Amino acid sequence: MVDVSQHELVPEHVVLDEDELQDVLDEYDIDRTDLPKIKRTDPALPDEAEMGNVVKIIRESRTTDTAVVYRLVVD
Amino acid sequence: MASSQTPKEIGEIDFGLMDPEEYRDMSATKIITADTYDDDGFPIDMGLMDPRLGVIDPGLECKTCGQHSGSCNGHFGHIELAAPVIHVGFTKLIRRLLRGTCRECARLCLTEDERDEFRGQLDQTRKLGRDLNDVTKAAIRQARKKDRCPFCGEGQFDIQHEKPTTYYEVQQVLTSEYSQRIAAAMQPDDDDDEPMGREALANETGIELSRVNQILSGEFRPRESDRKALEKALDIDLTEEDMNKLMPSDIRDWFEDIPDEDIEVLGISADKSRPEWMILTVLPVPPVTARPSITLDNGQRSEDDLTHKLVDIIRINQRFMENREAGAPQLIIEDLWELLQYHVTTFMDNEISGTPPARHRSGRPLKTLSQRLKGKEGRFRGSLSGKRVNFSARTVISPDPTLSLNEVGVPDRVATEMTQTMNVTERNLEDARRYVSNGPEGHPGANYVRRPDGRRLKVTEKNCEELAEKVEAGWEVNRHLIDGDIVVFNRQPSLHRMSIMAHEVVVMPYKTFRLNTVVCPPYNADFDGDEMNMHALQNEEARAEARVLMRVQEQILSPRMGENIIGAIQDHISGTYLLTHDNPHFNETQALDLLRATRIDELPEEAGTEDGRPYWTGRQLFSELLPDDLNLEFQSNTGDTVVIEDGQLLEGTIDEDGVGAFGGEVVDTLAKVYGETRARIFINEVATLAMRSIMHFGFSIGIDDETIPGAAQDRIDETIGDAYDRVQELIETYEAGELESLPGRTVDETLEMKIMQTLGKARDNAGDIAEEHFEDDNPAVVMANSGARGSMLNLTQMAGCVGQQAVRGTRINRGYEDRTLSHYKPDDLSAEAHGFVEHSYTGGLTPREFFFHAMGGREGLVDTAVRTSKSGYLQRRLINALSELETQYDGTVRDTSDTIVQFEFGEDGTSPTKVAYDDDHGIDVDQIADRVLEAEFESDDSKAEFLGDKARPTNLSEHGEARRNPDILSEVESDD
Repeated sequence: MVDVSQHELVPEHVVLDEDELQDVLDEYDIDRTDLPKIKRTDPALPDEAEMGNVVKIIRESRTTDTAVVYRLVVD
Repeated sequence: MASSQTPKEIGEIDFGLMDPEEYRDMSATKIITADTYDDDGFPIDMGLMDPRLGVIDPGLECKTCGQHSGSCNGHFGHIELAAPVIHVGFTKLIRRLLRGTCRECARLCLTEDERDEFRGQLDQTRKLGRDLNDVTKAAIRQARKKDRCPFCGEGQFDIQHEKPTTYYEVQQVLTSEYSQRIAAAMQPDDDDDEPMGREALANETGIELSRVNQILSGEFRPRESDRKALEKALDIDLTEEDMNKLMPSDIRDWFEDIPDEDIEVLGISADKSRPEWMILTVLPVPPVTARPSITLDNGQRSEDDLTHKLVDIIRINQRFMENREAGAPQLIIEDLWELLQYHVTTFMDNEISGTPPARHRSGRPLKTLSQRLKGKEGRFRGSLSGKRVNFSARTVISPDPTLSLNEVGVPDRVATEMTQTMNVTERNLEDARRYVSNGPEGHPGANYVRRPDGRRLKVTEKNCEELAEKVEAGWEVNRHLIDGDIVVFNRQPSLHRMSIMAHEVVVMPYKTFRLNTVVCPPYNADFDGDEMNMHALQNEEARAEARVLMRVQEQILSPRMGENIIGAIQDHISGTYLLTHDNPHFNETQALDLLRATRIDELPEEAGTEDGRPYWTGRQLFSELLPDDLNLEFQSNTGDTVVIEDGQLLEGTIDEDGVGAFGGEVVDTLAKVYGETRARIFINEVATLAMRSIMHFGFSIGIDDETIPGAAQDRIDETIGDAYDRVQELIETYEAGELESLPGRTVDETLEMKIMQTLGKARDNAGDIAEEHFEDDNPAVVMANSGARGSMLNLTQMAGCVGQQAVRGTRINRGYEDRTLSHYKPDDLSAEAHGFVEHSYTGGLTPREFFFHAMGGREGLVDTAVRTSKSGYLQRRLINALSELETQYDGTVRDTSDTIVQFEFGEDGTSPTKVAYDDDHGIDVDQIADRVLEAEFESDDSKAEFLGDKARPTNLSEHGEARRNPDILSEVESDD
């Protein structure tokens, strides 16, 4: 099987720990369910990501170098 | 309903079913008679037009609320239905509940564990904002799997739903021919085998022999246990399906028994929606204001479709009751019940598949409740999202190059019809009086005035003089549109935000709206009969917003590509090309004439002298329009390099890539660097300069411009002849079976491709030959090179050869069997038999070529027609899906439930119109920053202060510094 997470077109996915998550939720003043979602089965997710976790996705952007997005892992 | 006029803020809206008791409570009267008016024309009490249901005739008082028509919204009545009927809107939910609940104890057929699981899933999906239906559907599916109720143990049957409103319970019952089946099964399959004896059967099933005999003679119906035993012993099926119809009253009884906590598992809130309320026992009667009757010219009354339908319902309802009281047979009762169900169904929705629509006497299907809401002309799309508006005008548009791009020419008869409200004060009193005294017909006049006491007076030709003297501060005057007013202008289809822009009014004679031609691209307008709409703004806030945000000059840059969408088009581009390409010379008179409609009233230093008279060059004149410090270098559409230094065009041709709409470099740079006002001035001036230049040189096109000498024609014929030969060779190799197929293609496809290639090359060669004979000053060539209109391909087709015609991407292969036209032999693969047009448009096509050309041409027309309708619908769906997304003040994009869609607008938080990006050069940010700072600060001191080079003088206390910066404080402390 090809590990897509190693592909150059797949951006970095990192699981957030609770403290970091709290910071994110405070920053945007939201519940975690208000975040965009990502499926647990998404091949880009790291293995340790579980349902209810929030992953941080760091993308390269033409205009801002990096664009950061958070997603809630759902089933 | 008492204070229905008070505006209230809506906190939240709950949707649910309605309790029949609530229908009765809110009802103003019970309706019992199907008649509307008596012989004297008065509404009948407890009839469908009962005066307590509201008033429609002006002047009358509502019997329920005492208000007059207009302020009384009307009141509901109700009909007590003789028997319950099913509400068509809930047939699916009714089916689901029937399938998921026990037929005996009416509990949901799910164990406690399963319930917990689904409750959890419901909470989860609710939190995630997903579709609850997925969970409830899964729950029903699970419950339906159960053969027996987990609570009472009763066996469950399948529910069949016959659309729209009939439900059957499918039961397995003992077939009536059980004895025959048993006897048949006892016979052996082979003739040789012994038949099974009755004793053997009795032994195997454990039924007494006498009973077996009785069963076989058909005297005794076996019990269920006996049946099972018999079926097992003989390996047969003794059952048949029995369809037991569930009457609405049965369903209602069933649903009444469903416990509250069971329906919560299905996502239904029991205190708002009890399932039995889906079966109607009371029918609300809409107020008369919702179904007004119309008095025709001949004095006859014509009733609304809804009223007709209600009449039907009441009639059947009464007949039902009479028949039941008279003890009519069950069959008749059931028929009437079905009829009542039909009328109530079509009262709510008259477009149900499988049911014939209820029709008017004339045969027209009735427009009932659901039809009023649905579709393009329905309440939502037709009356709420879009309605007809006042203060709007529509007429044909025509061009006027003397207008600024910010302006719109408004016909005087439109200007005198549309008004702006003017609050009279001491300062504008004189103006106001002048407008009023001009009356409603003189141009800057007025149509209405409003006195401080709120009374509105119409200004007429007769009273205007008199009224003008009475106008004082505090009055309001509705004056006509005058030059400089801001209006909103729109052309449909409004596909992007530049389809609606604000313009300043210029009142003009005649009947059309006038536009500067440079605003055609954003509106996608031309002047072949296009009409546009104008809206006069009615309050100061709207006018200010329009002026700041919507004015044409604010829309020069398109958010789609971040480049300008407004700029020179067509003749403007030919004009600048003629002016700058060969850099022609102009004497003083000519130069001044070219620049006469611009701000330039003094010519620059002359470029030189000719015959003792000074002359100016075209590039010099163009440079006059540029800012003095502009530096640019780019490739032009013509192919040369344009160099602009210090606002002087030194080299190159100004064409589409320079000043055109859709990314003209100079316009784009001006808009981004010098601001939209400077860009607007430039575009206006370029347009006029270009028009003056094209008129100076003269620009026309005729058939001779596309005709080539005979020798060249011969050469073209020769190339095409060569191509024909090569095609013939290909065909011969193919027929000899020697053609090698290209990878991934069949031999046939290879041949087609090669022929297409050869013919395509032939056309290009013909074009090249033709091109050699065109001078550079040929108008068609000028237009193609500058990008003004047309391409070299168009020229090729006019002068050289039209080339291969195609339908669906291949050569023309349709028509007769194995051939395109009867003029050719079957299976003729040659070029001319498959739509190759070897002649040019100027030379003329042969009839066969013409026919093939028409085939190709029609495909183009059909394609555009299909594309516009498809893309229109696509656009509608896309807009509906995205319409609720909003960029918040924190930069995130969220939907209405506050779910984040983007963490930063566009993931970079920038507007495409405010950003410049260049792959080759990059953006010199330092230079821009320096320029901005230079312009911003008057003295070096204030600049240094802003940059933090120099500390700002402060009057804060000395301790203030320490408090704000704890580091200093700790240092002081540690000193102790």
